[in-house]
Amino acid sequence: MTTLEAYTKAFTDTFGITDEEAKNLKFQDIKAWDSVGHMGLIAAIEEAFDIMMETDDIVDLSSFDKGKEILKKYDVEID
Amino acid sequence: MIDDLNKIAAKMRVDMLNMAYSAGKSGAHIGPALSLTEIMTALYFSVMNFNPQNPGDDCRDRLILSKGHGVMAQYAAMKQLGMISDDELLSFKHNNTKLYAHPSMNSEMGIEFSSGSLGQGLSLGVGCALALKLKKNNSRVYVILGDGECNEGSVWEAAMLASFQKLNNLTVIIDKNNIQYDDFTENVLSMNPLDKKWESFGFDTEIVNGHNIEQLLQVLNKKSEKPTAIVAETVKGKGVSFMENNPQWHNGILSKELFDTAINEIGGVL
Amino acid sequence: MIQITPQNIRMWSLLGSCGAFGAAAESVVQENSNIVMLTADLCSFAGLSRFSKMYPDNFFNVGIAEQNMVGVAGGMAKEGLIPFVTTYATFASMRALDQIKVNMGYMKLPVKLVGMTAGLSVGILGATHISIEDIAAIRSIPNICILSPADSLETVKCVEAAVQIAGPVYLRLSGSMNNPPVYKADYDFVAGKAITLKDGEDITIIATGTMVHNSLRAAKLLEEKGISAKVVNMHTLKPLDVDAVKSACSSKMIITVEEHSVIGGLGGAVAEVLAGIEKKPEHLIIGVSDSYKPAGEYKYLLEQYGLLPEQIAEKIEQNYKK
Repeated sequence: MTTLEAYTKAFTDTFGITDEEAKNLKFQDIKAWDSVGHMGLIAAIEEAFDIMMETDDIVDLSSFDKGKEILKKYDVEID
Repeated sequence: MIDDLNKIAAKMRVDMLNMAYSAGKSGAHIGPALSLTEIMTALYFSVMNFNPQNPGDDCRDRLILSKGHGVMAQYAAMKQLGMISDDELLSFKHNNTKLYAHPSMNSEMGIEFSSGSLGQGLSLGVGCALALKLKKNNSRVYVILGDGECNEGSVWEAAMLASFQKLNNLTVIIDKNNIQYDDFTENVLSMNPLDKKWESFGFDTEIVNGHNIEQLLQVLNKKSEKPTAIVAETVKGKGVSFMENNPQWHNGILSKELFDTAINEIGGVL
Repeated sequence: MIQITPQNIRMWSLLGSCGAFGAAAESVVQENSNIVMLTADLCSFAGLSRFSKMYPDNFFNVGIAEQNMVGVAGGMAKEGLIPFVTTYATFASMRALDQIKVNMGYMKLPVKLVGMTAGLSVGILGATHISIEDIAAIRSIPNICILSPADSLETVKCVEAAVQIAGPVYLRLSGSMNNPPVYKADYDFVAGKAITLKDGEDITIIATGTMVHNSLRAAKLLEEKGISAKVVNMHTLKPLDVDAVKSACSSKMIITVEEHSVIGGLGGAVAEVLAGIEKKPEHLIIGVSDSYKPAGEYKYLLEQYGLLPEQIAEKIEQNYKK
């Protein structure tokens, strides 16, 4: 699995959406991505890449794209 | 039928005087019990679905005596229903009695909750009414408050929620005898106009003579879309001339002489 | 059933104790439709936004009226429902204390009172919002079980336990979001039975709530100084695990650590047991000193009161006599 596939899977598994829907997703676009869903997503991403994110980054991860950017800090390149 | 109910009320007054006399020097809340006599009579002997053989039946209407110090009126009703024996009645306020000075939760006696700390019964009633609706149980909840008790803020917290939740299965009866512990309510903290307060809190409000059983039955049997508040205008110590409307008889000690005088006035024996 | 997976444990820890409570609420109601959630205008704060949308019939926002909320829950409990009552710990415990005494203590109605942000975590809001007195206040009332989970997973377990316990419960939730986890995998939780998390020869640290994590870290620091510390998670403050206290008497020192006043909390409860034991070691009570300090952020306040792991270790080292 590529990192992009693994990253996308965190979204699709957490929110029950398709790959296509995940691509442009932003916080609160869908009902499932509320504050509780957000923590589920963070936990799924952390699990996928075996990392622990800092609080500021957890708060900042407000979209699919923003997440890719933040993960660079943890030496995870999504491509 | 009204005549029969009035006869029961008279017997209940005798029961209460016997309890108060039996309590001896510790005294008894006789005034605030006597003002409840007709209210209790109407509820237990006509309005409520209540089976003394099965007081825990889930179909029963729930009665919550929030002004717990008036409990002698409830015990007297239970005595007349055959739930309490003569001996038990006279154990009132004695050590190890079931008949506390303030009611203690007892499902075998159909006492829904313990009370004594004022201002809590309506919250319990609202909780019951909400739960009954959730369980699709059509029983009604009756909560009896004192007018002095209405000083407690928690009463109004509960009143707000009752009307907001449209609890049309809830009836509040306020025993408005115009006297609280220290003095007349006018001299302590008057709640007048009490009916307007309940009305403004979203209750269908009625004022009745709390010693007129016919009037009581009329309003207690009325249906409404809202919770109901009945302001029952009563006389503290009703039925015994020297107690009537006398703040000293909120809690009083009955001597043999006073007891005999009171019993004679009511014209009965145990 | 609640799925206890590494991912869920991490999610609950991120959500903090309130969020974990909300997640557990959604789960337990699926198995028991008699469970209802009440809140005094703190629905989202209590982690119950989802619950309120998913189970609107089982959710009651009673407005800012805590005394009434506890009474309403008493009525519901009598009718066979299992009501959880949620608000800030300080209001849950003390604003409604007489209602707690009468409904939960005297009548033993099975109300589950949930105190959010117990301790210092919302200290930035000032002394009105912190809760350092709640254990002392509720512990003095007969018949109420007090649960104080160490982390978010234990919070979930305590919610499940509270449903099972037939009587009234006070669930004390301490900590904030991103609560450090004490437990990284599933384990057996039994109310009233303390859990030894680390063995040690010299001293026994008995901790509760957030201070379990800090005590484990303190124990590690003490290890480096040659002091071997046993660490016990006293997740149930009432009924207290008396045997755990008795067995701690074989250590050279007992230390209790809590995010609560040093008066009447875990320290008080343990001292009450020790008072009846003839041969016992010195007991050091570490907690919030009997004072209100100026408002400040959570970590800052923990530091002000000397409750960070390094400070706990230092205090123990100073008092420990070999």
